[in-house]
Amino acid sequence: MARLDLDLLGKSFGDTTAVAGVSLNVGDGELVSLLGPSGSGKSTVLRMIGGFERPSSGRVLIDGVDVTHVPPERRPTGMVFQSHALWSHMTVFGNVSFGLRLRRVPREEIAKRVEATLELVGLAGYGERLPNQLSGGQQQRVALARSLVLEPKILLLDEPFASLDQHLRERLRDEVRDIQKRLGITALFVTHGQDEALALADRIVVMRDGRIEQVGQPGDIYAAPRTAFVAGFIGAMNMLEGAITDGRILAGGLHLAAAGSGPAHLAIRPEDIEITDSGEDGHVTVRRMIDFGSHVVIDSSLADGSHLRLQTTKGVRVGEGERLGVRVRHYMVFAEALRDPIRYRGAGVDMLPNMELNYA
Amino acid sequence: MHEAASPLSRTPAVSARSRVLPLLLVATPVLLALWLVIWPAAEAVILTFLVPGEGGTEVWSTANYARFFGDSYSVNNFTNTLWTTAVTTTILLVIGLPLAIYLRFAKGQLPATVQSLVMFPMFVPSIIVAYAFIRTLGPNGTVDIFLHAVGLPRMRTPYLTPWGPVIGLVWDGLPLTVLLLLSGLGNVTRPAVDAARDVGAGWLAILVYIILPRMRSSLLVTLSFNVLGIFSSFTLPYLLGPAAPEMMGPFMQRTFGDLQDVGMARTQAVITFAVCLLFGALYVWSIAKGRTKSAAGGKS
Ligand SMILES: Nc1ncnc2c1ncn2[C@@H]1O[C@H](COP(=O)(O)OP(=O)(O)OP(=O)(O)O)[C@@H](O)[C@H]1O
Ligand SMILES: [Mg+2]
Repeated sequence: MARLDLDLLGKSFGDTTAVAGVSLNVGDGELVSLLGPSGSGKSTVLRMIGGFERPSSGRVLIDGVDVTHVPPERRPTGMVFQSHALWSHMTVFGNVSFGLRLRRVPREEIAKRVEATLELVGLAGYGERLPNQLSGGQQQRVALARSLVLEPKILLLDEPFASLDQHLRERLRDEVRDIQKRLGITALFVTHGQDEALALADRIVVMRDGRIEQVGQPGDIYAAPRTAFVAGFIGAMNMLEGAITDGRILAGGLHLAAAGSGPAHLAIRPEDIEITDSGEDGHVTVRRMIDFGSHVVIDSSLADGSHLRLQTTKGVRVGEGERLGVRVRHYMVFAEALRDPIRYRGAGVDMLPNMELNYA
Repeated sequence: MHEAASPLSRTPAVSARSRVLPLLLVATPVLLALWLVIWPAAEAVILTFLVPGEGGTEVWSTANYARFFGDSYSVNNFTNTLWTTAVTTTILLVIGLPLAIYLRFAKGQLPATVQSLVMFPMFVPSIIVAYAFIRTLGPNGTVDIFLHAVGLPRMRTPYLTPWGPVIGLVWDGLPLTVLLLLSGLGNVTRPAVDAARDVGAGWLAILVYIILPRMRSSLLVTLSFNVLGIFSSFTLPYLLGPAAPEMMGPFMQRTFGDLQDVGMARTQAVITFAVCLLFGALYVWSIAKGRTKSAAGGKS
């Protein structure tokens, strides 16, 4: 029911630029995840959308209406904070009904709506409890219900589950996803966990130093990162430093076809490396094998000592110090001279010249 | 395996010691208080109920209190003290609360400056405050001279009126008031305030529904501290207040020193003490309530 447009949004705190010209269009009913390292400006963007920070530049539009200078109490947004945001002197019912009471909604309707919302977040029957009689997960559900009960146009979530343990976090994020889809509410979800973003979002916005590094669907960002930063930040990635000369990149002892010239990064996903054979003429030396049950990860070192992580199917057994031959199915080269990276597919790898290499 | 056994065998000794040590720590101040405060206080209370009877004996009587409350001059002093206390405390809360809220939630350099300004009066002795007051607000003080210079009507100075002590006591009490309120505001987190704004609360709703309920005990503490301090204050009322009605502090001093009426001075002291005791009890009660609440509460 609502579109959100950010138009060159910027925010400085004194000398520090927290957000530098962020533009983003979020469609009706879409769930967009803001992902980035600590200090990349995710919370600041969210707080500007909620009205808690005044932008230094740019505009915020909700359904085409400029709300840049509207205070939070009059914005059609609802925010779920990381923690410590429940009013501990009020019961669960008191917390959830507060916004409705301020709006002078009739008593019976308040009761009905609060009950329905508590049911939605799985807390039916908890109305009379005080926040400190709830677990951390339940407290965050209350915070979610408190926002949802007012039917905001845009739901803003700032790492709402960061203080919870892994299992609970996964469960709650699935629930949030369900609720968001069911209500068709437009939502922004800040996280610095890439798994969370990949699992949850229709689109991911990767932020770094107050700027948007890349926007895209989770699969696309994973498969086609636009910058070395995104490549390294989303999913597991081997990042090897090297240089391109004569149509080949030499990095960490690997020698692969590449266009361009000069210093570059070679990026290879662990699952894009295949073990070919073992023996004294192998390319890598096994340092450690980690058996995850569903798959096996091998930590190895290359000829120049840099690390290479590979992932293979379950059941593979290798010993420490064993030498393995590898084939790279897919890799990317981020040359500093190039604006966009080039992706290569189906390539072999070797230390020998003249080996056949085909690349896209 | 003896590591596993030793904590068990040590437990009784540790808990015995951990029971005795706190008691010892508490015993010293309790004994001191008994000897220096409670015993003389109790003795004074008893003495006020004894009046000389026939033949050099003493008999139980409420005559002292009847005399105090039957004398309009004494009663005026008493009500004047109540009035000064109520007005000063109210003004302190009205000024202190917004200041404390500002200091708690504002960001940047300015609040730090404001805070040090607010704390400044704490380092100025009352007697100097009184002198400064007289030089600025007194007859022919700076304000008066200034008004005269710009051709405005002369000010009616609060010096030697009941407002004199009020102004002095407000200045004197502000730092402690703000400090106590600030500590209470520590219970109010910024996300809690932001969340209230988010669901549509304006500043008044935030104050009434979010901030004040969380400060109930610190408001009580502030209230009782101020009442205790102001009700029994001496220096500022003595230097700035009118000759009549006067506050209980100077009144007692005059009854005791100038009139040498020890029995009456003692009665006045017991009455003052009773009022303070009331607010002392309020303070202890609010502390105890806060304790049990946080013990039961746990986090957040
Ligand atoms: N109120 C503030 N005053 C000064 N600097 C601030 C303020 N809020 C944020 N910053 C700065 O702005 C930058 C971005 O902060 P922000 O909180 O938006 O990062 P974030 O991406 O949410 O990080 P995290 O993942 O740690 O929550 C940081 O460098 C931070 O120090
Ligand atoms: Mg943040």
